[in-house]
Amino acid sequence: MTTADGVWRVFAREVTAARRTRSYLALAVVSAVAVFGVAVAGGGPTGGYVPTVVDVLVVVELLVPAVAFAVGYRALADPMARGELDIVETYPLPTWAYVAGTYAGRAAVFTVVVGVPLAALGVHVATTAGPETTVFASHRGVDSPLLYLRFLALALLYGLVSLSFVFLLSVVAGARGRALVLALAGLLVLTVGGDVAVFAALDGGVLSDESLAGVLAVTPAGAFRGLVFDQVLYVAVPTRSSFVPAGLASAALLCWWGATLVGTAVVATLR
Amino acid sequence: MTAEPYLSASDVTRAYGDVTALDSVTLDIPGSAVTGLIGPNGSGKTTLLELLLGVERPTLGTVEYGGPEAVRRFGYLPQRPTFRPGFTVAETAAFYAGLVDDDPDRLLDAVGLGEVADRPVSGLSGGMTRLLGIAQALAGDPPVVVLDEPASGLDPAMSERVFAVVESIADEGRAVVLSSHALPLVEQTADRLVVLESGRLRTTGSPDELRERAGGPLHETFRSLLADETAVVAGGVDR
Repeated sequence: MTTADGVWRVFAREVTAARRTRSYLALAVVSAVAVFGVAVAGGGPTGGYVPTVVDVLVVVELLVPAVAFAVGYRALADPMARGELDIVETYPLPTWAYVAGTYAGRAAVFTVVVGVPLAALGVHVATTAGPETTVFASHRGVDSPLLYLRFLALALLYGLVSLSFVFLLSVVAGARGRALVLALAGLLVLTVGGDVAVFAALDGGVLSDESLAGVLAVTPAGAFRGLVFDQVLYVAVPTRSSFVPAGLASAALLCWWGATLVGTAVVATLR
Repeated sequence: MTAEPYLSASDVTRAYGDVTALDSVTLDIPGSAVTGLIGPNGSGKTTLLELLLGVERPTLGTVEYGGPEAVRRFGYLPQRPTFRPGFTVAETAAFYAGLVDDDPDRLLDAVGLGEVADRPVSGLSGGMTRLLGIAQALAGDPPVVVLDEPASGLDPAMSERVFAVVESIADEGRAVVLSSHALPLVEQTADRLVVLESGRLRTTGSPDELRERAGGPLHETFRSLLADETAVVAGGVDR
């Protein structure tokens, strides 16, 4: 067995377990109701892709990390409490590979739970919005399914970053009770903690107005929001430019993703 | 029994802050034999097993592996094994067997669980869960199998069944190390006993040797042996 085979086996077990877990189906239904409910109430789908993104952005910004945390908070705490990680350590499967397989499996679950409702919403827009929304365009001022695909991709990336955050918290917790408490605290920090800290620093004079955009870009929620504005909303609005540096925001999201995943593997190995 | 040690612990100490769980233990684990660790709760049995396995690192001292090369050197049954819910016995065995390209049916047959292969793991009794844990420990045919309290909390019949399985896996040439409070069964199954108390190795020897030193059935005198520092067994302290 190669390490890749081992990662695949752990991944396949995660996916099999998810298929048998009805609460994930319930989570997907709740996600669908949330995004469709907000979008339909706001009237975005009849206006096009960009109006729809405007309607659901706030909900998605909260829903994505919430679902990621729900999917991942016990992912490593449970096997640690069961002694499974100690057992796996006696197999020719590195701990990092076990973490990678588990993460990949939970990421697939997250992608289905959040991605399918968002994709369905995109299809709903395609069938209800005006004819101009069928135009594929990359220039400013034109609504397009491409913009919605960008939004979907950014939402999934933000979710994968959130999932890697909660994996780190799960391995640090090491037990189900602590994992729940840490996950709730982590969810608060991820969704509002960054913004609160930045604005507190601004209010206290620690940050200047000039540095605000850059600092917002390095918080996960700020980076996601900034990239959605830069890559989706303002593309259709010729007179606006982004409020965070897009390159810095992209790099920040990727750094958070990589750092938390590596941190998880290191903590799991050294526990 | 072969004289070649599969594992050698030299002056192994494990401390957690100010608490010393294990203090300067030196011990060889031979192949083709069952080594039983006995001692009261908190005597350091689990800590010693985890150090031998390598899932814990010693504060001082070394543990060296001298057994044959294998895809998987150690099999391990933790003290309270639980398996991922939502899967059957066969699926659970297949997962672990797949990590070392082994045959899950062979593993289940080795512990007598072949007939309940389709049962969910959450529906297993404590004894059957323990047997599934032993099946998992045998995946990849490891030369050393470490079993932490394999009969803890089981009824006498199931305890005997578990120890019969333990005896059979040692017959296949493995080094089996186990800890247990089921003293009559340990005495009957183990080729060698290691007595721990308060993190220190008090004595080692075959059940016959220890019985001779104790002057009677080991399980009847065990408590007094550990309670009294001047007990006759103290003359055989092996550290």
